[in-house]
Amino acid sequence: MRRAVRIGYSALGLLVAAVWAFPIYWMVSTAFKSGRDMYSATPQFVPLHPTGHNFAEVFGDSTFWQAAVNSLIATVLTVVLAMAVAFAAAVAVARFRFFGRRTFLMSILIMKMVPSIALVIPIFLTLTEIQDASLGALQLTDAVPGLVIAYLAFALPFAVWALRGFVLGVPPELEEAAMIDGCSQVQAFRRVTLPLIVPGLVATSIFTMILAWNEYLLTYFLISSPEKYTLPLWLSHFVTTEGTSFGPLMAGATIIAAPVAIFFMFVQRNLARGLTAGAVRG
Amino acid sequence: MSTLDEPAVARSLPAPTPRAIRNRRPRPRLPYLLILPALAVSLAVIGFPLGRVIVLSFQQWGVAQIFSDAGPPFVGLKNYTRILEDPVFWTVVVRTLILTAVMVGLSMSVGVGLALLMERVPGWVRGIMTFSLIMAWAVPTFVSTQIFAWMTEQNFGVLNYVLGLGQHNWYTDAKQGLAVATLIVVWGAVPFITVTTYAALTQVPAELVEAAKLDGAGGRQVFFGITLPSIRPVLVIVTALSIIWDFSVFNQIYILRNGAPSPEYQTLAIYAYMQAYQGHEYGYASAVAVVTVLLLLVVSVFYIRQLIKTGEAE
Repeated sequence: MRRAVRIGYSALGLLVAAVWAFPIYWMVSTAFKSGRDMYSATPQFVPLHPTGHNFAEVFGDSTFWQAAVNSLIATVLTVVLAMAVAFAAAVAVARFRFFGRRTFLMSILIMKMVPSIALVIPIFLTLTEIQDASLGALQLTDAVPGLVIAYLAFALPFAVWALRGFVLGVPPELEEAAMIDGCSQVQAFRRVTLPLIVPGLVATSIFTMILAWNEYLLTYFLISSPEKYTLPLWLSHFVTTEGTSFGPLMAGATIIAAPVAIFFMFVQRNLARGLTAGAVRG
Repeated sequence: MSTLDEPAVARSLPAPTPRAIRNRRPRPRLPYLLILPALAVSLAVIGFPLGRVIVLSFQQWGVAQIFSDAGPPFVGLKNYTRILEDPVFWTVVVRTLILTAVMVGLSMSVGVGLALLMERVPGWVRGIMTFSLIMAWAVPTFVSTQIFAWMTEQNFGVLNYVLGLGQHNWYTDAKQGLAVATLIVVWGAVPFITVTTYAALTQVPAELVEAAKLDGAGGRQVFFGITLPSIRPVLVIVTALSIIWDFSVFNQIYILRNGAPSPEYQTLAIYAYMQAYQGHEYGYASAVAVVTVLLLLVVSVFYIRQLIKTGEAE
């Protein structure tokens, strides 16, 4: 390749990186600006008087902490349930051949296609009815447990598919070798395959966690009381009919997105492997 | 892939030991026990709701039914005929299709273009690009939408400043507002497409490329003759997923319009949602949702074909 062309490509690549990173930079830098610096005729590309004021406002807000707790509970419950159930199913479809296996796999893929909007109405009505039938003993609408039920609708198909890819990635010959050496099949699985799948389990858990942490549409439909808000809903309270307070909004957004970004950095490479193994090699 | 699932002992060992056979064969119940929980949960949280939304779409389910003890009456195809007769619905369908085409077209061409670019830059540039793209990928849509709302703010938005537009309001004309929404979708979708396509590009067999070059093939011939066919399965899946996601686009438009998108901003998902959430017209909204799923099936026919191929390969 000619030198000039190569330099041109590199310059273009760096430009692309800058353009893609800019919105994130703008969020973080806005979060550190005072109101006067935010609302100035000429935007400040670097905060001239950085302040922690917006962050203090978020952290000093008790509703933020309440929403954080709700998000945490909903996310952890979703991940634990989805992973436990999905892992068993993934092992079954990756390691056994049985009648109905293909149908099961196809329905998992179809489930991945169903848009939330088609599920949210019946889930809402059914939860209401169960709640009424129990005379309010089971609080499901406008409650975190109800959210977990709704979250499983997208978390489960994803988790089954991703984990299946990871289990397929471990050659069954390894297990067989252990069985020839005298392990039972269960032992062989636990001692040989399981340790090799751990990175996949971690990647899938974290990605499921991110999906639940970020969920907006279902939550918005199912939750109405402010004390039941999750973080994405909480964030939208900065948007009012009088206008949006972008300063604390950007600080809140930074705080909510930061753990996602950090976790994502860790699992991204692993996850791409598991997903393409499942999706492409089929 | 099919060989992986054969009773592996018979395949890989010349003389299977009795123990291995005993452990492998007589367990027809185990796989069913393993999928049972997943089956039960997915039936409860997806299968049942899907069935119910279909039933609902044939029912009159409105405010009156919320406060009445009698079950909702079946009204046959009334909700569907109402859809067919509603001119608003059809403009929403057309808008959704156009938006999907633009969003998928843009994110695929930019995404694949960047993947090809990543192949052609030195490692450190690729590292910086990957980092920046992954950061964008990780940002939740409700956050990215708020960032873009702030960047396109009329009086103090950085975009107006950079483009020298003064105090331009991006949202009075829905076309411009939807262009901003498209920008958010593309910004968020490209990282996934680029990273996946680049991963596929690195899998293209180098020997093939070398051999073709030795035989005198030019860059263009190598690309269309070897590279493209090799990454085609990945491209098909990524395109199909983009179609599915963009067709049911909700957050980016709904949040951008502060939870009250005017009619000219509504896509199918938003239209169904507004009918259910604000109008309490659950029957009608369910019919819209069913039609949305059916349309989605039509536009993602490629994905489904790929699924069937996958099923056959199993």
